[in-house]
Amino acid sequence: MTDFQSSTDPGLLLLISLASGAKHGHAMLLDVERFAGVRLGPGTLYGALSRLEAAGQVEALPAEGRRRPYRLTDNGRHFLSERLSTLNRAVATGLARVEA
Amino acid sequence: MRWLLRLYPRAWRERYGNELADLVDETGLSPAGAVDVTRGAINEWAVVARDALDGGQTMTIGPARHPRSWAIIAFALLAPTLLFLTLSALHSGLLDPANSWLNGQRLLDLALVALPVIALLVAAAPLVRIELRSAADGREAVLGVRLKALNVLVGLLALSIAGLLIGHIVFESVLQLGA
Repeated sequence: MTDFQSSTDPGLLLLISLASGAKHGHAMLLDVERFAGVRLGPGTLYGALSRLEAAGQVEALPAEGRRRPYRLTDNGRHFLSERLSTLNRAVATGLARVEA
Repeated sequence: MRWLLRLYPRAWRERYGNELADLVDETGLSPAGAVDVTRGAINEWAVVARDALDGGQTMTIGPARHPRSWAIIAFALLAPTLLFLTLSALHSGLLDPANSWLNGQRLLDLALVALPVIALLVAAAPLVRIELRSAADGREAVLGVRLKALNVLVGLLALSIAGLLIGHIVFESVLQLGA
């Protein structure tokens, strides 16, 4: 994964969603739609989730009935922090140049 | 919806399939959602293939389970063309290349030719196994074929009928050019 990707990168959106606490798939979907205005498809969501889990950035918690919640790992939180800092610098620079 | 999950690699399906199915049950599956799930399956196969070719676990496609069911479906696909051919041969001498082929309705003609070809693929699909892996001297794809009598029989029948029809079209075209 590159340091700078689109802010609609599903993996990034899921990490941001999980930063506020553990969630299952449907809750992530609704949360992402609320804060980013992006409706992730079910295949996109679980594709991104499987790669985040393989990268050790999220982990599955014991199932609650038919639902399985996921949470950020320390590695995932660190990765998200770095990605957002990079994006933040890019956004700040872009805004400053546009408004100059 | 559950049948769409079968498009995913087995290992992925076993790990995430139920969760994905439950999510779709909760949200419903729109046409766009079906496309998204299908695209997700293609992405997962691409991930597995890339991993296999980079030295990870060997990627294996097939052989499909229940080969007898595939053979029965193949025969069902073949049946309309087989019936049409039999009736035509009995009543209007279809096997004579000088006779005008079928009835001139192109879509129907196309279907009658396409069905044996599709039937051949359906009968043969569960007989084939493809492995992708990284080898000492590079990357390799290995093709394996198993033989199941019913599938081979239906496949050969489909191949014969497709060959007969295509041959008939060619003869008919040649005769028309010569006229």
